[in-house]
Amino acid sequence: MHGNIDREKVINELSKIEVRGNEEGLIPGYNVLVNQLPTEFWNQFNERISTKVKPELRQEAEWLLYNCARECGYHTGYGIITSDEFKSVVGPMIKDQPEDILHGAYAVFTAWGWAKSEIVELEPGKKMVVRAYDYYESDVVKYGKSPKLSSYMIAGVSAAFMDLAYGGEYPNGFDKFECKQTKGIETGDEFAEFVVTPKDQQTNW
Amino acid sequence: METMQLEKKDFYFDHKFDKESCRHTLNDFQTVLHCHHYMTLTTQMAEDAEFLNGTEVLTTTMEDTIYKVLNHYYTKHNITDLWEKISIAEQYYSVCGLGQIKFNHVGEYSASVDVLHSHIDEGWIKKWSKRNKPVNYIGRGFVQAAMCLFNDKPPRSYQTEETKSIVKGDPKGEIRVWLDWE
Repeated sequence: MHGNIDREKVINELSKIEVRGNEEGLIPGYNVLVNQLPTEFWNQFNERISTKVKPELRQEAEWLLYNCARECGYHTGYGIITSDEFKSVVGPMIKDQPEDILHGAYAVFTAWGWAKSEIVELEPGKKMVVRAYDYYESDVVKYGKSPKLSSYMIAGVSAAFMDLAYGGEYPNGFDKFECKQTKGIETGDEFAEFVVTPKDQQTNW
Repeated sequence: METMQLEKKDFYFDHKFDKESCRHTLNDFQTVLHCHHYMTLTTQMAEDAEFLNGTEVLTTTMEDTIYKVLNHYYTKHNITDLWEKISIAEQYYSVCGLGQIKFNHVGEYSASVDVLHSHIDEGWIKKWSKRNKPVNYIGRGFVQAAMCLFNDKPPRSYQTEETKSIVKGDPKGEIRVWLDWE
């Protein structure tokens, strides 16, 4: 389900953007400073931290990794959906708000290489289910199945996107939703799945 | 001391997007865009994870990553002269959006690097304001990797310390590097 969004068109348009540092080596955009690093850097850090930690502290460490992405997704997500690029490419397709904005955000999420992902179920303000079919966080496994789900970034950003859509006016809507990853390619599933619901209805972290 | 100016070696920038997987590559390495919120929170987390030596994990993760990236670039484009290696490393730092560094001197046993702009320092100030402790662990990892390749040594051959820091209020950062003899 993509609402009124022509997903292929958005991906095709926004995946062409080439990014590199300015004369100061910085990439300002979307109200943030952007960096462009090898996915291996993020995967290696997350995996070293979440694997090295003692079992009794793993959940806490994983929550911190998830929270890094949640704050990133909230602030950068807001910068993206209010940007000129988003308005010019996705804006004309938006008929139902905020649902079409959410669908558009996942098209951007896909175009920029975070995860080939889409919303497969959406109950406005109550529940969102997202699937990811190809994503860099699954690269932590090259053979076999990991005993743990590792898509902290997609989970965090998905919670943030629901905060932006239904949490209230930015910047006061943060931390209203939580996301639980229920499937993962890294654990042997065909795709990853993420369920986002209001914070008071989840106890996964 | 004035920052040294080095002649620039042309930088090869090969960006590709695979429509099937929806993944981006830059110079044969898969890359992803993230923001200063993600980097500052990741850095804060590394500091909080003292019991895991988290900042060392962050520094060496960057060292390992950049060692592979630069080594691949130098090999593929036949970059062998030291000045070319230095120029490409400085430009790579900027292409990634990490800021601007200048190697002031490079030897086998030591080096000094000016940090003229820094994604993590300037992002940290933007998010939380200045503080009295350096924060550029990723920059140190990048420099450690580059030094290993400048001197044909394996990863973990060098140690670094930030002796000046933008997040502390210095006009520019400074990273000192020395060969790890222990």
